[in-house]
Amino acid sequence: VTDVPTFGDVGRTAWSVVLAVAPLAGFFAAFQWLFLRLPAKEVSRILVGSVMASLGLFLFLLGVNIGFLPFGRLIGEAMGSLAPGWLFPLGALLGFVTTWGEPSVRILADQVEEASSGSIRRALVVPTICVGVAVAVGVGMVRIGYQIPLLWLLVPGYGLVIVAMCFTHKTFVAIAVDAGGVATGPMANTVLLALALGTASVIGGPDPLVHGLGLVALISLASVLAVMALGLLVHWKEGRKES
Amino acid sequence: MMRLLAQQIREVLGVVAPLVVVICVLQLTVVRAPTALFLQFLAGSALATVGMLLLFTGIEVGILPMGRFIGAELPRKGSPSLILAVGFALGFATTVAEPDVLVLARQVEAASDGAIGAYGLTYVIAAGVGIFAALALVRILTRISIAHLLAGVYAVMILLSWLAPVEIIPLAYDAGSVTTGVLTTPVVLALALGLTSVLGERSAEDGFGLLGLASAGAIIAVLLLGLLP
Repeated sequence: VTDVPTFGDVGRTAWSVVLAVAPLAGFFAAFQWLFLRLPAKEVSRILVGSVMASLGLFLFLLGVNIGFLPFGRLIGEAMGSLAPGWLFPLGALLGFVTTWGEPSVRILADQVEEASSGSIRRALVVPTICVGVAVAVGVGMVRIGYQIPLLWLLVPGYGLVIVAMCFTHKTFVAIAVDAGGVATGPMANTVLLALALGTASVIGGPDPLVHGLGLVALISLASVLAVMALGLLVHWKEGRKES
Repeated sequence: MMRLLAQQIREVLGVVAPLVVVICVLQLTVVRAPTALFLQFLAGSALATVGMLLLFTGIEVGILPMGRFIGAELPRKGSPSLILAVGFALGFATTVAEPDVLVLARQVEAASDGAIGAYGLTYVIAAGVGIFAALALVRILTRISIAHLLAGVYAVMILLSWLAPVEIIPLAYDAGSVTTGVLTTPVVLALALGLTSVLGERSAEDGFGLLGLASAGAIIAVLLLGLLP
């Protein structure tokens, strides 16, 4: 086993969190100094919360890297030696549960529920994004198995997004593209990417990197389409109620 | 704050549990990794769970209010050029600091046989994100339809995908994912929603779309670089 965590991993993770926090902290400090002038009580709340969130992000990333990442790779390799019929269902299952645990997806869904005063519920947005990712990972695994070029999926996919945009309510269009962004958070970038690279290393042809990559693009695209579909469904139901 | 933590515990357990259960089942059936590695996985899951608990609580307590305060203050200080500058600076700085961007930039450097340097590429991606983040804030101010803007942006993306060299395409689309860090996401969302809350005649939902546009900015930046001779 080569994946034993080292102090190097801990240091790298800590450094990446410091780098992520630094610009936000600088940004807030500049604003507080120049314009905001919030009272000390608010500033200390923001500081405590930021420190807590940074510490949490550090532990989360560390846990994902030592726990989930190696298993993503191992499961991917195991899937490569199973019958090709397993690629879609297993990929979809892992896509769903991984996104279920993606922090940014929760954050977006919370803000959507709050901004829409509860009319677009979080309990609806999270599973929708998960289903989108599930389909994307299933298709992505099949793509690796059959070596389908990425462009054949991306160009029609984004074409479909443009068409669907004309029929979807603008609120859902905006939420959909944000969903495409948050669906590819740290969970997807480690677990699902490792899964794809693992499978590609077994059955993916000469260059696993080229065939394993691109999964992230599919995840983003499918999440956009899934939330737009939700928007169409919601307005179709409302329309039926009114008539 | 302790009450908030207690509330979050149940939520976080429900968020992590499905993935852990699925991996356990796969371990028993098809993976059969050595016990030591499986124990390492269980330890990692525990760390990730505690981490997520602190992360969600910290975001609620400090990060979201920070974004809201800044967003609500922006239009009060007047000039659209300030808002533009803030959008660009926020997008640019958070992207340059994102470690994944450098990892990706190295891959692009390798794919292009060193023709595109990793550090230069990092700044190009960051500029792409910054420009589109600024564009997204301008959209909120001017009330340009998100659908029109996105249709145009995606059309450009498809066109560039057709023209760019094949090996750059997966990397370009992957660049879209590196712009949405876990800490940046709540700040950006809260900032945009704070902005819409103080501008009249806008529904709160007008605040969305910024993250998606920023991702498109990164993709377009890498595709454009791929087109260079």
